[in-house]
Amino acid sequence: MATTATAHQTKWWSGGKSPFNLEYGKLMMWYFLMSDAFTFGAFLISYGSIRFSQNFWPDPNVVFNAFPGAGHANLPLAFVSVMTFILIISSVTMVLAVHAGHKGDRAGVMKWLAWTIVGGLAFLGCQAWEWHHLITGEHAALIDGQIQMVGQTTTVNPWGQLADPGVVFEALKNSSPQVLAQIVHDHDHSHTWKELAGMSKDQLMGMINVAELHVREKGPVAFGGYFYGITGFHGFHVFSGVIINIVMLLMAQNGVFDRKGHYLMIEKAGLYWHFVDLVWVFVFLCFYLI
Amino acid sequence: MQHPAFEEVSFHHHTEDAEFKKRVRKTTILLSIITVIELGIGLSIYMIHKGPDPSHLLVLMFKGMVCILSLAKAYYIVSVFMHLGDEIRNMIMTIVVPLLLFIWFIAAFIIDGNSYKTLRNRYDKHFQETTMPKEHHKATEEKKAEPAKSEKQ
Amino acid sequence: MSESIHIHPGSVGHEVAHDDHHHGHHEQSFITKYIFSQDHKTIGKQFLITGIIWAIIGGLFSVLFRLQLGFPGQSFPILETFFGHWAKGGTIQPEFYYALVTMHGTVLVFFVLTAGLSGTFANLLIPLQVGARDMASPFMNMLSYWFFFLASIVMISSMFIQTGPAAGGWTVYPPLSALGQASDGSKLGMDLWIVAMALFVVSSLLGGLNYIATILNMRTKGMSMTRLPLTIWALFFTAILGVLSFPVLLSGLILLLFDRNLGTSFYLSDIVVAGEVLPNEGGSAILFQHLFWFLGHPEVYIILLPAMGMVSEILSVNSRKPIFGYMAMLGSLFAIAILAFLVWAHHMFVTGLNPFLGSVFVLLTLLIAVPSAIKVFNWLTTLWRGNIRLFPSTLFAIGFVSLFISGGLTGIFLGNSTIDIHLHDTMFVVAHFHIVMGVASMFGMFAGIYHWFPKMFGRYLNSTLGYVHFWVTMIGAYLIFWPMHYEGLAGMPRRYLDKAIWKSFNQFGDLDKMITVVSIIVFAVQLMFVFNFFYSIFKGRKVTSTNPWGANTLEWTTPINPGHGNWEGEIPEVHRWAYDYGKDGREFIPQTEPVGANESKH
Repeated sequence: MATTATAHQTKWWSGGKSPFNLEYGKLMMWYFLMSDAFTFGAFLISYGSIRFSQNFWPDPNVVFNAFPGAGHANLPLAFVSVMTFILIISSVTMVLAVHAGHKGDRAGVMKWLAWTIVGGLAFLGCQAWEWHHLITGEHAALIDGQIQMVGQTTTVNPWGQLADPGVVFEALKNSSPQVLAQIVHDHDHSHTWKELAGMSKDQLMGMINVAELHVREKGPVAFGGYFYGITGFHGFHVFSGVIINIVMLLMAQNGVFDRKGHYLMIEKAGLYWHFVDLVWVFVFLCFYLI
Repeated sequence: MQHPAFEEVSFHHHTEDAEFKKRVRKTTILLSIITVIELGIGLSIYMIHKGPDPSHLLVLMFKGMVCILSLAKAYYIVSVFMHLGDEIRNMIMTIVVPLLLFIWFIAAFIIDGNSYKTLRNRYDKHFQETTMPKEHHKATEEKKAEPAKSEKQ
Repeated sequence: MSESIHIHPGSVGHEVAHDDHHHGHHEQSFITKYIFSQDHKTIGKQFLITGIIWAIIGGLFSVLFRLQLGFPGQSFPILETFFGHWAKGGTIQPEFYYALVTMHGTVLVFFVLTAGLSGTFANLLIPLQVGARDMASPFMNMLSYWFFFLASIVMISSMFIQTGPAAGGWTVYPPLSALGQASDGSKLGMDLWIVAMALFVVSSLLGGLNYIATILNMRTKGMSMTRLPLTIWALFFTAILGVLSFPVLLSGLILLLFDRNLGTSFYLSDIVVAGEVLPNEGGSAILFQHLFWFLGHPEVYIILLPAMGMVSEILSVNSRKPIFGYMAMLGSLFAIAILAFLVWAHHMFVTGLNPFLGSVFVLLTLLIAVPSAIKVFNWLTTLWRGNIRLFPSTLFAIGFVSLFISGGLTGIFLGNSTIDIHLHDTMFVVAHFHIVMGVASMFGMFAGIYHWFPKMFGRYLNSTLGYVHFWVTMIGAYLIFWPMHYEGLAGMPRRYLDKAIWKSFNQFGDLDKMITVVSIIVFAVQLMFVFNFFYSIFKGRKVTSTNPWGANTLEWTTPINPGHGNWEGEIPEVHRWAYDYGKDGREFIPQTEPVGANESKH
């Protein structure tokens, strides 16, 4: 029945077939991703617009310098590079799952899908830790003539410019003893909390070396909003990608694709997963690198 | 292989197993190397900021470089992992051409953001005084002179 | 990479892909046939009828606020009966007025002229005119309608809550829309507005992806892209515009939702409300306007392009002449679609936008005049020396061209940033966009309904009522909107509840009364059309031939009442473009007829 011809003789646009030699589902997936690229694009461009409207923007190396289990060690970008590699590797395993699908290799599809799911969950776990650390981590910031211990939230940003030591010294006088105790504790663990709580404000002040203190002013509030908004939206995509992959895994296990005779669904899930990775390239660029 | 369910598709790409795996491996290594370079640049920006006399031009150049490297990463992900490079040329065009809209989209938004900053600095002195970075933290004299200079501009 | 192509002779399109549609012979239950239907024709009708209901609601709102504008301060006790404290003492209260204006805009722009217009005709016409059994994914198509339905429910429900619906204008600019304490209309109603619009974006995305995939992949044999009727090209570009621009609105609305509920400062900075200083700092209200108009401007063309496509088709069929300049029409559709993305900030000249940036936007905006003029000349030359059959559909199509010209010309005024400084936010703007986008697209929609009603329901609409409908609407539209140009040039602001304290505007008192009276008459005539529509579905004159208008396109090769799957036998093959009218002494030559040996070239 089949007649064989070569590619350049085919009239792709004459109707009766796909001009791109793609079934409609994959075509729709591509254009959906295109549309989604505009959603993310709009977020990131808004971020850019706001950032350009500010005189000062925090250096990401200062903000993202923590690593789980490493305490207060200054490790800029270390953790986010781990996250980035997790996502790249999970993208590779997804490629392999799609490839196994091409060959109709059910076991291969399931193996690589499972690894992709693990990668996705690991990424989500990392993100949860990072968010938790940023929100609950307490940083001394100069706010309204006082030193306050604040985390990075959608309403406060502790990563402003370095405050002038003279101003910080005055501000310390106005700050509460609890804050002073905490500052002392952060730099010097020789006293227990109980001891510190018993000390007077002057005693505490005496133990603080203002020159070493690197207290910052309040930073631009929009930083937190955009960071949580955009990484959250990306995380939501990772989450839905994991769900899709789990569904694919279950369908593969139940032999749905074998009965259909093809693994095209895996290809579409793969496109979505790679898109999530692709978006991360730009989120990584915009929030962590520049 | 013909998929009976999708008659509008008339052929499928076949790639050799070994060749394909080699390509994936090569791309993975490439992506990793680019990422490492990007991290390196990110850290050098940190070092420059920490240094005594940060050069804005150098920082800007480094930032430009990471942007280009990120575009390269995006190219490899889309072209190899998402197999767009293997599709028919017209299909590639339907994806690439609409993305050109981003050029004006980005440019206009950023130019307007920047112009909003200029407006605020000119008319909202409080904004300018509280947020304008001080070039040298210890030289308080200069700090006071700086905003006054840009005021005249 | 070795590529070998296996072409299966005789494998006609997608019959295999959609073989479950052939179960149409089975008895379908009422629910699968009329409610959760996956048949594109039924979904199109669902969009149309929902759109009509929305149009009545949105139109009624405009009549209500016109009462206030035409007869400020006058008491209409009946209003209090219906609207209670919103119209205390029979006069429209300020909050009610702003809610009416906002909802009129939202409803007409999104729910009627986007969903009701392109939802209806893309669903009805794309599979029929490209020669497909159904959409690429009938299931997603069904979801598209039901997401729209859900959006409608949420939007309707916002009108019945204590604080009323959103009332900050259909453009929902922050900070007003972001701060509940600023006005009643910015409370829960605003959240519901955002939710409804998010659902609407999902619906439009599901629909748009389907339209694009269907037009690209599902064309029947011989239907090359340049043989497509212009309706399909217009709907194709409409879908692309929607798929690329609605997500940007979604992003903007998500950020607005965060500002409203999570204390973020994307759009807010340095604000004092009722003596309370808000902590928000660093946001930019202009940013929202950028994001909104990045959708908002393409949205104008999402509304207008389907009307343009249908008008092209109807003018050609009913003047019994080929469309003049098919490729130029196509090129100008393409140019309009591209420019639609590049000109958004011409809505923002007076916001504090960088003036240099503004001048670039002026340049790009004025470029739109070129493809628009090409289209107008092509419509006129299509009509020129034709054997014009003045059906109601033709009249509405000609009316569309008239309105597009008069409304388009005022666009040149507004597109210039210097003139816009004077005209911005005046009645001149209201006149401009109602004529060029609102009423013109309505006319395109009416033309489409009169033309394809026989295909939808197997019956004709009543022509006499159709003529009355056309003439009253046409004259009424000009009587309503033409005088607004004068008001706007005199500086009369739009959206104001009561302008009585400005002595200089008192001269327009009678004019405003006239506009209000005419708008009531026009609204009544639309209700007559709605009566005609529903009456004719059941009692209209029956269609007796498959091709009542003598048209070339494929939808007229299907049975009078096509089942799910459209063609009973194989899908016909296409051999020529859709516009062989008055050729070689023949009145029309359908697309399915093979090209004869001695046929002249067009």
